[in-house]
Amino acid sequence: MSDKMNQDSVICVCGLKKHYKGGVIKALDGVNAEIKRGEVVVVIGPSGSGKSTFLRSLNMLEIPSEGQIFVNGVDIAGKGVNINEHRQKMGMVFQHFNLFPHMTILKNMTIAPTTLLKKSREEAEKKAMELLEVVGLSDRALAYPSQLSGGQKQRIAIVRALCMEPDVMLFDEPTSALDPEMVGEVLDVMKKLAKQGMTMIVVTHEMGFAREVADRVIFMDAGVIVEEGTPTEIFDNPKSERLQGFLAKVL
Amino acid sequence: MQAWFADFKADFKLNFIDAARWKWLVEGLGNTLKITFFSLLIGLVLGIVVAAVRSTYDKNQEAMAKHKGVGYYVFAVVNAVCKLYLTVIRGTPVVVQLLIMYFIIFATSRNDVLIATIAFGINSGAYVAEILRGGIMSIDNGQFEAGRSLGFNYVQTMIYIIIPQVFKSVLPTLCNEFIVLLKETSVAGYVGVVDLTKAGDLIRGRTFSAFMPLIAVALIYLVLVVVLTSLVGVLERRLRRSER
Ligand SMILES: Nc1ncnc2c1ncn2[C@@H]1O[C@H](COP(=O)(O)OP(=O)(O)OP(=O)(O)O)[C@@H](O)[C@H]1O
Ligand SMILES: [Mg+2]
Repeated sequence: MSDKMNQDSVICVCGLKKHYKGGVIKALDGVNAEIKRGEVVVVIGPSGSGKSTFLRSLNMLEIPSEGQIFVNGVDIAGKGVNINEHRQKMGMVFQHFNLFPHMTILKNMTIAPTTLLKKSREEAEKKAMELLEVVGLSDRALAYPSQLSGGQKQRIAIVRALCMEPDVMLFDEPTSALDPEMVGEVLDVMKKLAKQGMTMIVVTHEMGFAREVADRVIFMDAGVIVEEGTPTEIFDNPKSERLQGFLAKVL
Repeated sequence: MQAWFADFKADFKLNFIDAARWKWLVEGLGNTLKITFFSLLIGLVLGIVVAAVRSTYDKNQEAMAKHKGVGYYVFAVVNAVCKLYLTVIRGTPVVVQLLIMYFIIFATSRNDVLIATIAFGINSGAYVAEILRGGIMSIDNGQFEAGRSLGFNYVQTMIYIIIPQVFKSVLPTLCNEFIVLLKETSVAGYVGVVDLTKAGDLIRGRTFSAFMPLIAVALIYLVLVVVLTSLVGVLERRLRRSER
């Protein structure tokens, strides 16, 4: 998988399947995809189509039933892979933020770099404060998660992941749990990140974001990728009936 | 009134002062506290180990089943043993466990305080394990996933993220479990341990006067429990305050 052709591909997914209940539920039914370095890929699709399962497989939060996931040329679904090292390089942002409630914001952001990357506390805190500055929350460094609004929590969750200096960022519906007035502030942070060249895979229902920021949009339905292309191709020129039907409902 | 008071004094003297019988109560209380404290330690250690095995198995079963190694089967057996332990201990009365310990398992030993301590320790271990496991399971799975997604391994996620949260939520329940344990040790007399209850009963047998010794025993338990419960209350309020 490390031949020249794929040198700029960070992730390469081959025949990925995830079955539940002994194969009755096929959450993923043979997904093939390639993600290039610096690419922003938005995944859309109806509820239950397997978007989360796909995203979470890239991090081994879901264990594939079949198939391979090459990250920088290594099959992370294979035997003898140190999944923890792999995860350090792949940040993940969840719908429900999942900040650690017993730690301050600063501690939330420094616990992983200090423990896993063996960074000194000063170094980790310096980096954390820089990132807090970027998302406009430096004054909340010593607050606890329960003292923040949803939008603030999600911005913290994003920078917490960034503290590990990941190669790739995964977002699973990062704005779905937010009040409408807070969606913008989170999307703005993600746009900034995209501009800086971060490789991003984003599951979202924010079609405006997809249109504006995505290099490529993937449409999933019933556990497979039905159609993919540039935002223009997907939104203005949908080919498959399923995508047309989906867009008719959400736009 | 005066006559009643004189009776009371005589009764008190007979039960506690004569032949220094109050010393029996002190000795009994000492044994009660000793058994409670050490079985608490055994229970904590056992409970932590069993809870760790059970929840680790539940949380990692899928990942381990994928690449079935020897470790997977060993772990499955250990988990089954833990489950059996929980079922048996929680499904039988503590007095029966105590008798089995004394007359069957340690039939050759007559160190009754030690045997009682082990029996109560094994018993409380099962309850501690379930309290801890309940605490672990009550933590949102998103916390595990957030920890793992940052690159923490399972043990690190437990240590840095889950256990501090579990600790806060189960500490009051655990303390209450130990208050229950204190009272439960009152059946230790079944295997000849002179604990607080047995001491009171022995005095009653000597003096043929039931009121004084039994009420005294009850009062001592009551004071201990009330003091411990109020300490747990203070602890609970502290924890809530630090929660924000
Ligand atoms: N643990 C599980 N056990 C059984 N079925 C599951 C499990 N997790 C997911 N599924 C099923 O897999 C399918 C895909 O789920 P997934 O969460 O990936 O969908 P999704 O596209 O993210 O949907 P949504 O937009 O609602 O988040 C669904 O039919 C779901 O019911
Ligand atoms: Mg989903």
